[in-house]
Amino acid sequence: MADKAAAIVAGLGGADNIKEIEACITRLRTEVADPGKVDEAALKATGAHGVLVSGNVVQVVVGPEADTLTDDINDLLD
Amino acid sequence: MLSVLSPVSGTAVGLSEVPDPVFAQGMVGPGTAILPRNGRQEAVAPIAGRVAKLHAHAFVVVGEGGRGVLVHLGIDTVKLNGEGFERLVDEGADVEAGQPLIRWDPAEVAAKGMATVVPVVALDAGHDVISRAVAGEVEKGSQLFQWA
Repeated sequence: MADKAAAIVAGLGGADNIKEIEACITRLRTEVADPGKVDEAALKATGAHGVLVSGNVVQVVVGPEADTLTDDINDLLD
Repeated sequence: MLSVLSPVSGTAVGLSEVPDPVFAQGMVGPGTAILPRNGRQEAVAPIAGRVAKLHAHAFVVVGEGGRGVLVHLGIDTVKLNGEGFERLVDEGADVEAGQPLIRWDPAEVAAKGMATVVPVVALDAGHDVISRAVAGEVEKGSQLFQWA
């Protein structure tokens, strides 16, 4: 799981690009500094069901493990 | 065959009517969605099992064979931070199908400008395993669809 969290952080353009991340039951909602650094293909390669980019908000649909993944990602960002 | 019950009373409209692409495109699984009737009410467990996730505005019950059903009360309701929602069980609790889990009022959600529609999703299921989905009026606790 921690590897998956690391892969998602990388797909979002790295820790420095992530301004905010929160879990909503089946998806990670993140706000990124530069959406151009987001690699949708890399995010989908982590097993995500889908990726939605709208302005600076990126939603990664990961399924019900969103909560635990967000905890893992926050551990990486701290 | 798993019988999935309707968590709320209202009108079954199908996932395609949900104003959120994740649900409308079935990204987390197939299912349907219900436009709930207004008024303070209790959303009930769609299947028997363990409450694997319990947010104020959404929950997942995992039943036999690890099959999980997601119920989401309204769209973008995470932004309400639980206001107007009352949890009636704890996360991790074992519940019966039809047991009340969350008390809420769709009219309050609508008053905040959010959609009240309730997606009911067979998590990570194939799209061909859902059958006998009810369309139109449905009462909470009655069968909504079957999961093969």
